[in-house]
Amino acid sequence: MAEARRPAGGPRGAAGEKGGTPGAPSGKKQYFRRKKVCRFCVEKIDNINYKEVKLISSFVAERGRIIPRRISGVCTPHQRQLSDAIKKARNIALLPFAAEL
Amino acid sequence: MRIYEILFIIRPDVPEEEIDASIEPLKNVITASGGVVDKVDKWGKRKLAYRVRKHREGYYVLLQFSTEKGSETVKELERRLRVSDTVIKFLTVRIDEELKRLEKLKSRREKRALRKPPPAAVEPPSPGATPQIPAEAAVKE
Repeated sequence: MAEARRPAGGPRGAAGEKGGTPGAPSGKKQYFRRKKVCRFCVEKIDNINYKEVKLISSFVAERGRIIPRRISGVCTPHQRQLSDAIKKARNIALLPFAAEL
Repeated sequence: MRIYEILFIIRPDVPEEEIDASIEPLKNVITASGGVVDKVDKWGKRKLAYRVRKHREGYYVLLQFSTEKGSETVKELERRLRVSDTVIKFLTVRIDEELKRLEKLKSRREKRALRKPPPAAVEPPSPGATPQIPAEAAVKE
């Protein structure tokens, strides 16, 4: 019970804190490995358009699935716009729904 | 003034003249209801991400227009696209709110740049496929 409360330190703890949020002060190792910044905020891209397949497809995994925010480091509003754009692109056959490996 | 864009896919085995012949009636529908066709962008043949009606390739056409009577025009256009046997897929998006938001962001950024003269004015170019407002020139994909 106490163990379930405290997040396991080491690799599991570090992997879960990539979003740059301040980690809880527990665990022996450094809580977040590196601050990952949102690519759209840094490059100041305003318009995440479903027609720009090259930009969109870099946030899509091999199988065609959308990469989660905690792995890609995108901020929340941009992740929402991005997933909207990906879904529109899938609808118009610019991106696959499920890709063969 | 509502701005829409329709991206539709035509069967790949259709000759050039028929493609233009498929687009003409759509333009007439828009102008008949008092709208303005902003741009017609033909992307050409592209490989589809999945099979659509047994085709693996398609000819993409982007049609952007602005109109007052939005819903009727769009309904009529979609009905025609659905009935047409050359068009295999279409997607209609309303973009005037999005364009307004982009304009606001751009003007805010320009104002901020004017207030303090930056040592190296670096303005990242907006991506090429951004839909343009009717007054500006058409942009290639």
